[in-house]
Amino acid sequence: MSGLLRRKSVIAFIMICIVGFAGPAFIGGHPHDAVGAPFARPIWWNAKLSSTVKINLDEKGAKLEWTKLPPAIFSLTGEIKADPNSAVSIIWRTPKGEYKLAGMTGRPSYWLNMDGRDMIFKQSLGLPLIGKSVEYLFPCTGKYSLSIDGASAADLTLSLPGARHGLLGTDQRGRDVFTMFIYGIRTSLIVGICATIIACVLGLGFGLAAGYVGGMTDALIMRSVDILLSIPTLPILMVLAGIWGKGLWQLVLILSIFSWMGTARSVRSMVLTVRESPWVEGLRALGAKRGYILWRHLVPETAPIMLANLALGVPGAILSEAGLAFLGLSDPRLISWGRMLHEAHSFGAFTEGAWWLLLPPGIGVVAVCLIFMDIGRYLEEKIDPRLGGGRP
Amino acid sequence: MSRSWLIRRILSSLAVLAAVLVLNFLLFRIMPGDAVSTIIDPNFSPEAKARLRELYGLDKPMLEQFFIYIKQMLTFSFGLSFLSRKPVWDELFSRLPSTLILMSLSMIFSAALGIWLGIKAAVKRGTLLERAVLRLGAVTASFPGFFVQLVLIMLFARIFPIFPLRGTLSVPPPTGIFAYLCDYAMHMALPVFSLTLMGFGGWALFVRNMMVRALSEDYIIMARARGLSESRVIYGHAFRAILPPILTILLMSVPGLVSGAVITETVFSLYGVGTFLLEAVSGHDYPSAGAAFYLLALITVVCNLLADIVYGMVDPRVRIEGRNQ
Repeated sequence: MSGLLRRKSVIAFIMICIVGFAGPAFIGGHPHDAVGAPFARPIWWNAKLSSTVKINLDEKGAKLEWTKLPPAIFSLTGEIKADPNSAVSIIWRTPKGEYKLAGMTGRPSYWLNMDGRDMIFKQSLGLPLIGKSVEYLFPCTGKYSLSIDGASAADLTLSLPGARHGLLGTDQRGRDVFTMFIYGIRTSLIVGICATIIACVLGLGFGLAAGYVGGMTDALIMRSVDILLSIPTLPILMVLAGIWGKGLWQLVLILSIFSWMGTARSVRSMVLTVRESPWVEGLRALGAKRGYILWRHLVPETAPIMLANLALGVPGAILSEAGLAFLGLSDPRLISWGRMLHEAHSFGAFTEGAWWLLLPPGIGVVAVCLIFMDIGRYLEEKIDPRLGGGRP
Repeated sequence: MSRSWLIRRILSSLAVLAAVLVLNFLLFRIMPGDAVSTIIDPNFSPEAKARLRELYGLDKPMLEQFFIYIKQMLTFSFGLSFLSRKPVWDELFSRLPSTLILMSLSMIFSAALGIWLGIKAAVKRGTLLERAVLRLGAVTASFPGFFVQLVLIMLFARIFPIFPLRGTLSVPPPTGIFAYLCDYAMHMALPVFSLTLMGFGGWALFVRNMMVRALSEDYIIMARARGLSESRVIYGHAFRAILPPILTILLMSVPGLVSGAVITETVFSLYGVGTFLLEAVSGHDYPSAGAAFYLLALITVVCNLLADIVYGMVDPRVRIEGRNQ
């Protein structure tokens, strides 16, 4: 066992389990919350891009020094209180000129909800309707100021979501990709491990039945194994996911129904050799019941195969889950790596050149698969050296 | 090739086909409610519901429905699509060529490249080439194909815009047969390339292992002793001996290839059976989904049978076994 803990892939597995299951508790907020501008780049990508700026301001207005490229969005929200008889105007001064954002009169209070992407907003400022208003509101680096004239009190928020945000940027809805990536670990692990456990139990059951009972049962089970292996799985999985539902546990069940065949085959061939061995014959001669022999002697005997199969089956299940989710056949509320790739593919990651939506989930899937494959191979060799040596 | 062996293979293919038919029938009928209750508005009048049930034959007993269904499947009359209101078969048939071309080209390329690399690796044991092939084979197997394809699109269609981003043909398609074919080839290049990239590693690993074993056999020493040229020894004797298992693997790779084609078509938005299946499944278009699934399974069964027949022609043991019987 100490050798197991020294193996790098086992340590990596423990680490991703901790990060995947405990990580979400340390990340504040919900993963579906929009936290930044859509398609914001990772924060470490380009220092010239602006990071998110949020300023709360009162009737005195605000001054700011801008040293970066324009932000992704310009938005001003909040409430202004003023004398109904006097005019209120909000002026945005840039180093290259000034814009009157709003001019209001006749009411004791005004609610503002300005967004630089709004057509009416662009029109009132005289900006071109097609194109980004932030490029005109932030023409260069320098000193900017927002002043509010004629207001008695104000409680405004000037928020300038940056063109870069978070460790891994944001997606098309402004969600934090890093948060989603961490949540995705959990989904992958749950689906991969649960589906493989169920598949292994099914495979063990069918394999034992086929190998020990023999005869018609054997023929029936092995024929269905052959048939299931020669039908393309993905189309069936797609149809099942489409008809039966796309929830997490439905997915686990669907995946496990179509991945027990390999285990059943290896368990059967193992049972076939063990069944004829002298000690099983001895047990039978002593009057041991079939259930006793199966449960107390044959099942423990298959343990090495089962453990290795368990670890080696997980990558397949994770890849299938990612594939189905990539095709859009998963619960949209459930964040998974496949779902992230699906959304990157269907919501314009290519037109934006958004590589940060593509690489994290893909590399995550590959990394988890490689970890499980390494553990599986290690278990195969350690628990039963005969298996390790004989394999090509 | 012996006749009894051929008959056995055909029977086993038919068994798979029967299983597919039963599975396809059950898949769409064991869901809660019946096929019609999911497509009709609950606000329909009872008479309208009854008429729809009658239209789709759902008022008949299950067994009769099954026979009608079998007849439909065997004559390729899949009914009307819920979405497009056109015969399912027409649309499926127009989508078939792209799927078949994608599958066969990627199979040929990945097998050819993999076999060539595998032989090279086995002949030059202990070299950098062998280690590279072994590594590549192990790594490519654990990469999800669609991820590699997405990265390829990002690289070769977005950052370096060499290939088109999506689709089977440009819109509108170019006129003239040569321009048309060029356009088609440009659109198919990345899908085929990506499937080849994903597939050749496994082939190379397998062929390398088989070749290493074959090259250590006595008959190779004998062939060398006879003074045959090295290429004759490798290709004429060692490779000839491992040809039957290669065909077996070819046969076993078909289901995976179909699954791969389905995902590839979706990634590249190709006009194929796979995208049709996905559209049908996500649009609850049951006749189309059932038909597309049936067709994909049928492709698999037919490919398996073809591979079996070729196997019988290549492996002398099968011929001899047949003669002795």
